[in-house]
Amino acid sequence: MSTALIQPVTNDGPGGPLVWLRQRAEAIAGWPGAYARHVRAHPVRTTFLTLLVVLVVAYPFVRNTFLTPFSRSVFPLPLPDDPVLVFMMIFAIMAVGLNIVIGFAGLLDLGYVAFYALGAYTAAYLASPHWGGLSFVLFANVPPGYPGIHLPFWIIVWVAAAVAAVFGVLLGAPTLRLRGDYLAIVTLGFGEIVPIFFKNLVNVNFTFGPIQLVNANLTGGPLGINPIDAPNFFGINFGVIGGSMPFYLGLVLLVMTIVIARNLERSRMGRAWMAIREDETAAEMMGVNTVRTKLLAFGLGASFAGVAGALQASYQGATTSDFFMFSTSILVVVMIILGGIGNIWGVILGAIVVQYVDKTLLPWAGPRLGEIGTALGNPELGAINPSRFSFLLFGIALVLMMRFRPEGFVPSRQRAAEMHTAPPDEAIGSPGVIEEEVPTAEESEAAAPVPGPTDPDAADDAARQGGPL
Amino acid sequence: MEQLLQTLIIGLSNGLIYALVALGYTLVYGIIELINFAHGEVFMLGSMIALTLLIALGVAPGMDLVTTLALILVVLVVTMTLTATLNVSIERVAYRPLRSAPRLAPLISAIGMSFVLQNVGLLWKGPTSLGFPDVIPNTNIFAVFGLETSVAVTYKQLFVAAVTIPLLLVLSWFVAKTRQGKAMRATAQDPDTAGLMGIDVNRTIAVTFIIAGALAGAAGLVQILYNNTTVWNLGFRFGLNAFTSAVLGGIGNLQGAVLGGIVLGLINALSDRYLSAQWTNAIVFGVLIAILVFRPTGLLGQQLADRA
Repeated sequence: MSTALIQPVTNDGPGGPLVWLRQRAEAIAGWPGAYARHVRAHPVRTTFLTLLVVLVVAYPFVRNTFLTPFSRSVFPLPLPDDPVLVFMMIFAIMAVGLNIVIGFAGLLDLGYVAFYALGAYTAAYLASPHWGGLSFVLFANVPPGYPGIHLPFWIIVWVAAAVAAVFGVLLGAPTLRLRGDYLAIVTLGFGEIVPIFFKNLVNVNFTFGPIQLVNANLTGGPLGINPIDAPNFFGINFGVIGGSMPFYLGLVLLVMTIVIARNLERSRMGRAWMAIREDETAAEMMGVNTVRTKLLAFGLGASFAGVAGALQASYQGATTSDFFMFSTSILVVVMIILGGIGNIWGVILGAIVVQYVDKTLLPWAGPRLGEIGTALGNPELGAINPSRFSFLLFGIALVLMMRFRPEGFVPSRQRAAEMHTAPPDEAIGSPGVIEEEVPTAEESEAAAPVPGPTDPDAADDAARQGGPL
Repeated sequence: MEQLLQTLIIGLSNGLIYALVALGYTLVYGIIELINFAHGEVFMLGSMIALTLLIALGVAPGMDLVTTLALILVVLVVTMTLTATLNVSIERVAYRPLRSAPRLAPLISAIGMSFVLQNVGLLWKGPTSLGFPDVIPNTNIFAVFGLETSVAVTYKQLFVAAVTIPLLLVLSWFVAKTRQGKAMRATAQDPDTAGLMGIDVNRTIAVTFIIAGALAGAAGLVQILYNNTTVWNLGFRFGLNAFTSAVLGGIGNLQGAVLGGIVLGLINALSDRYLSAQWTNAIVFGVLIAILVFRPTGLLGQQLADRA
């Protein structure tokens, strides 16, 4: 699995699909040998990773099997159930995608939820009875005579990714030359507009040339679209709410996005993104087509959210515009910041932790608070619903992370270095003279807890660009 | 025609409230180039503080006008003081330590702060929207002169103007004529050089946040007395409207923020009246995107030198 996923394999001499297939098969046959070599070269790391993979794959069984009173007394915290696992996967896919935009290319996108919504509605349009007047069924497991368009999930995923990418490019083309904070606001506006459109385009009367719409219900309005077909492969339903199959579907999609993102990061394009993040002008001087490169980051990042949206809609079997709010965009940003901006594994961990806290830990903590309250003779404690205040926690987390550990808990080495090279004289509103009289030693220590390599020039330019975070 | 005029009057009064909040965005952006996401939330908390004080002081419909106005004045001063303190504390906790960090770090910190403050509002007043009755009569002032006009200007609307316009005048006097105002302008232009000239840059920034917070508090009081309602998530939409106003007028430009606020108030009112309230937000965001893309300097242009 090198760069084959994004670069076409060129065959010298005669060949064709069969030769290519044989090469692939040989490569896969070589995996056990490669794995053995890895074990010999890095025994600890490889064993650890193997165990991790086994644990993730086996997690639903482990949880179902060991949920005994004994194990609960050893590990009292709640374990995430199947729907939470699926949402961990959905948000991990989005975190990996947004990490391309913010982490690799350094463009702050605060309206990422728009692409998530576009993906979800694409799935809804292509696999539901919404277009009742049409009847088009392709490889889909629906009863005969069922109205509407019904495509299989494995086609919808690609269409959703493409739709989101197209909208990403459409939004990016006019706006990517804006400065960092202006871009953030424009994307925020876009993220608000898209759900408004989905909510309001319900009784559309519109005439333009041959196109005539009379009371057309384009989006299902505030009720959204349901039911949406469940993902279905070879007769196995991957959308059973309550079962573990949707988790595996999400896991497969997540692994695909990881492979793609890893290859992108190490490609020529990935290096161009990081060059732009460091210093756009210098990158342009070195021959990087900055507009095209940024557009690609935006479009590719958006396509990941499209995939996540398609998964969400197909899994839940319904989609409504209320599901896509500004806070969802911020949730993904929180995942990236907590996990470690620029580091794929970090942001995935961030997604899993944030989802766990939001959907498992806080709902569980409510009744516990009540028990503690009763024990202490203060039953009002039980009236507090902690999950209502998840964003209080996440807000505090954002402020504290920016202050004390801006590179996240699993930092990318490169970004960590950048974060801590504070430009000494380009700092806004805080020239050197003032520095001397105001900050205490404690403060300057807090500003640089991890000593990073100092490269004042690079950081200086970075600050001027406003690109890197 | 009368309907149009009436709509414009409503838009104008709301526009003045936007202007007060927009000035906070524009002042802060002008001086440290930070979109202070938490500002809308300071406004929201201002409206809650004002509501609490109004109830505590027993302001109710049917009191005589002089007492009502005197109590409102007390509430105004206390609210402005509290929100100014809040805003300058936010600056101290969330933005000042990041003064030398890359530019997007304080922006993300501000987003975090905004969620924190929203939840403070939620914890304090709960999830339901809170109302307050009309203590300033919602009747036509022309009636005093014995006129039965079809286009009404109400006492409430007069009150909005009576609070906002003096504040705007005092602010522009402060920035243009006082020593501290001069320091603010100098810091906005070039903080390094301003520091070399002996201006205490951190103090100047703190003063800017105090002024911005006080204006947001005043706007909060006007909101509760004019629109009669507040809720914990009021700050997000209102803040985006106000930020759009600031951008519309040219961010960093004080007159621009007022003009932008009024224009945006009119756009809102016209859209509510003639299009549909459910599209108003989309229109506001559309305006925001269009300005940023086609004329990022706004209507009146950016006054500060672009340091980016």
